[in-house]
Amino acid sequence: MATYHPVGHVQLPRADAIRSRLIDTFSLLEHLHGLSQAVPRHTIREILDPSCQKKLMLGDQHQLVRFSIKPRHVERITHAQRLMSTLRVRCSESPPLSLWAGWVLECPLFRNFIIFLIFLNTIVLMVEIELLESSNTQLWPLKLTLEVAAWFILLVFILEILLMWLSSFFLFWKNAWNVFDFVVTILSLIPEVVVLVGVTSHSVWLQLLRICRVLRSLKLFARFRQVRVIILALVRALKSMTFLLMLLLIFFYIFAVAGVYFFENYTRSTRQDLEYHMFFSDLLNSVVTVFILFTMDHWYALLQDTWKVPEVSRTFSSIYVILWLLLGSIIFRNIIVAMMVTNFQNIRNELNEEMTHLEVQHKADIFKRQIIQRSASPFSNPALVLEDANQQWESLDLTEASKEESKHSATKESSRASKSKTKKSLSKVKKSASSSSSSSSSSYCSSSSGSRYYDPIGQLDWETHVHQNLPGLMDMDQDERVVWPRDSLFRYFELLEKLQYNLEERKRLQEFAGMDLGQPWRPGVKSIGVAYITGEKKGVCYFGTSASEFPPHT
Amino acid sequence: MSQHFYHQNHTRVISSSLFENVSLLFYETLWKFQRKDTQCQAFVKRVIMSRLFKIIMISTVSTNAFFMVLWTDYKTRYNLFRLFEVSELIFVSIYSSEFCMKLYVDPINYWKDGYNLLDVTIVIIIFIPYSLRKIKGKHYPYLNIADGVQSLRILKLIPYSRGIRTLVSAMRQTACTVASVLVLLFVLMYVFAVLGFCLFGVPESADLNNWGNLALAFFTLFSLATVDGWTDLQQQLDARNFTLSRSFTIIFILLASFVFLSMFVGVMIIHTEDSVKKFERELMLERHMTLMEEKHVILKRQQEEVSKLMQTQKNVDHKSFTELVEKFKKTLRHTDPMVLDDFGTSLPFIDVYLSTLDNQDATIYKLQELYYEIVHVLSLMLEDLPQKKQSQSLEKVEEK
Repeated sequence: MATYHPVGHVQLPRADAIRSRLIDTFSLLEHLHGLSQAVPRHTIREILDPSCQKKLMLGDQHQLVRFSIKPRHVERITHAQRLMSTLRVRCSESPPLSLWAGWVLECPLFRNFIIFLIFLNTIVLMVEIELLESSNTQLWPLKLTLEVAAWFILLVFILEILLMWLSSFFLFWKNAWNVFDFVVTILSLIPEVVVLVGVTSHSVWLQLLRICRVLRSLKLFARFRQVRVIILALVRALKSMTFLLMLLLIFFYIFAVAGVYFFENYTRSTRQDLEYHMFFSDLLNSVVTVFILFTMDHWYALLQDTWKVPEVSRTFSSIYVILWLLLGSIIFRNIIVAMMVTNFQNIRNELNEEMTHLEVQHKADIFKRQIIQRSASPFSNPALVLEDANQQWESLDLTEASKEESKHSATKESSRASKSKTKKSLSKVKKSASSSSSSSSSSYCSSSSGSRYYDPIGQLDWETHVHQNLPGLMDMDQDERVVWPRDSLFRYFELLEKLQYNLEERKRLQEFAGMDLGQPWRPGVKSIGVAYITGEKKGVCYFGTSASEFPPHT
Repeated sequence: MSQHFYHQNHTRVISSSLFENVSLLFYETLWKFQRKDTQCQAFVKRVIMSRLFKIIMISTVSTNAFFMVLWTDYKTRYNLFRLFEVSELIFVSIYSSEFCMKLYVDPINYWKDGYNLLDVTIVIIIFIPYSLRKIKGKHYPYLNIADGVQSLRILKLIPYSRGIRTLVSAMRQTACTVASVLVLLFVLMYVFAVLGFCLFGVPESADLNNWGNLALAFFTLFSLATVDGWTDLQQQLDARNFTLSRSFTIIFILLASFVFLSMFVGVMIIHTEDSVKKFERELMLERHMTLMEEKHVILKRQQEEVSKLMQTQKNVDHKSFTELVEKFKKTLRHTDPMVLDDFGTSLPFIDVYLSTLDNQDATIYKLQELYYEIVHVLSLMLEDLPQKKQSQSLEKVEEK
């Protein structure tokens, strides 16, 4: 195994990150503190296999078993599936009532029935209001029917809410549409209850409350998906405009209070022909007036009215009105429009996020295919490096690693006949192992120059290409998980860390080489040049010796 | 280091005239001027930056705004007169002391921040009614204007809210384009005002109410531009039987209201999109930075723990990390699976990383080849030089 000198070695942040990853993954800290002595030694397969099981039972029975986790592609899990797999459902003899309630609620027949009832409610209300004032006794049965229908509809709505509570009480409150339904139903329930209890006073108020029945039509909003999307978009747009609205409120306040003071003389004037006399009398009126000016309605008439009073200075009042018009209705209103447009675009993009996610995944797929093609392409001489005599310990390590990996992949393939995902990953490991072995071997051998010239100049874009596609690749891997054997994972981390140090050292050596060549006016150049030319055949191994040992003479 | 001195000497040589010398010396002394009261300054700065101070300021401004609302009503003002006087005194003192403290901490850079300038203007505005009352007496007709302007005090709340601050800075950038559209509109209105005045304000049967002088013409035109009550104005012009009045009005409304005021909307939409995108990008960047810092802290902590472990276990001869974990490695078995969804251990990462390394190697190899060529050409050139020089260089080389 290679040694790295702890005395003079430079801390590389990347290597540190890799080591910390290693420590994290294997919980080394707890282990080294002696805290975790419990390392599961057996897997589920050994328990389920009868022969192994017998052996285990005869031997040590107090061992830990590790559950084997097979990575599975996670699709969208519907609420119904979740309900079905709760422990209560699986372990009880008869299905619980909540399951039935959930089924009823999801049933399309029931949903359409509710929508139909909402429409019916609207119609019933309309007819009822028309007939409310008429005292035609022949219409009395019709009125009775309408009343009964209204009560029936209310009862069905209450039943629906009860069903939703039965299905899952806590999830009911988490969904905003359900809370809205609940509030509307309660609001329309209150007048009925009050009438039943017998309170007959405040009949006007009661009438108003009855009209709350009309709110039930709003329940329609929750049912149709298009309407939901529009309302969601509106709410999002309003949320992003909160600061704008706050700023607008601040300006409303400023102009309202200033208006009260500016137009004091106008309010106190005793002329009789002022149309808008009370418009700036106190703060509330002033706020309303400011709003009226915001909508640019009759502002010139108001201004001319204020000019009728001689004590009001014309300049200040016109400055006030014109400034508020410019600031409020022209600038602010257009800012609101602009923000709505921007937000709608964003919201539309986000609601199509599934589409964009698929697009990103597609791009990442293409990128992956490119990588595999590239790494499997013309590396035709895989076994050259082992002929180099010198300290090629870097490449030795990597070939060791790749040989190990190919070994492991072989064993993996033989021992696991599992799902297609793991098969794919196994094949990829094998391919990448072979390709990495070939690439690592050829990378450190500069004498095998023939195969290297396949690199076209187009590869100069590789880094930017990788950078562009890297986020997509990183996102994609949330769905795919890789199964590693433990010891090869440990070895992988170790090797990766060592690779960083090696790369660093190679960089330093390159710098030494470059330094000598970068100053061509030194008198020793000819000899160095000759030395290089002779050293060319040995390739990189020449750099293996320390750079200060260049002989000044051949 | 020597280069630095060389540069300084160079500049000293360049400035030859006496005045420039003197001004240079002056600036040097000014920049080197150090305040002697650094401790007090640091203390005051800590006070200003503290959260308690911010909370006090926010509550003061809000209470002030609320009291101003109460003041507008005459009856409450009459009943609670003493309370209002006392509170006003408190508010004015708080504002002016905040101003003085901030100025004391950093007198030069204080004026560079826009919100500090806002503070200064508000302090000036606060003192206007008082000074007016003193100078001009109690019955100056414009006193109520000065009282009304006090409502601007609520603008002091803006620096304390981050969202509004970003909004205001975004609006400031759109202000330039808005200003240019407004100037265009003003020019248009000026042209039409002069035209309207000559057509409708000068002749015998003139509409003096609306087109009597230029200011009135401007107002009328603004009323037309905002299409508010324009039919009444048009009716008055019709009643006086002016020809061309209808076309005049309609053309102006088309130009000002439909074209210009809609241009406003378009311009603002474009600017708002840009500023929102920029804001979001900055937010992502900030989040990324904090995440990086947190990761760094965790990494450091881990390293410290490992090194501590290595130091404490002195009974076994641990020279390095690998020896420390030798025993652990022996317990790892090949048949134990570990499922990871970490990007660093995934196959695409390995592919990409190794391909990138290969690429780097290819480039370095190409570079090496170029080096060889350069050296080869140079050596050929050296061989072509006359023999004398070659022998000289050889001697020098042997000396080395």
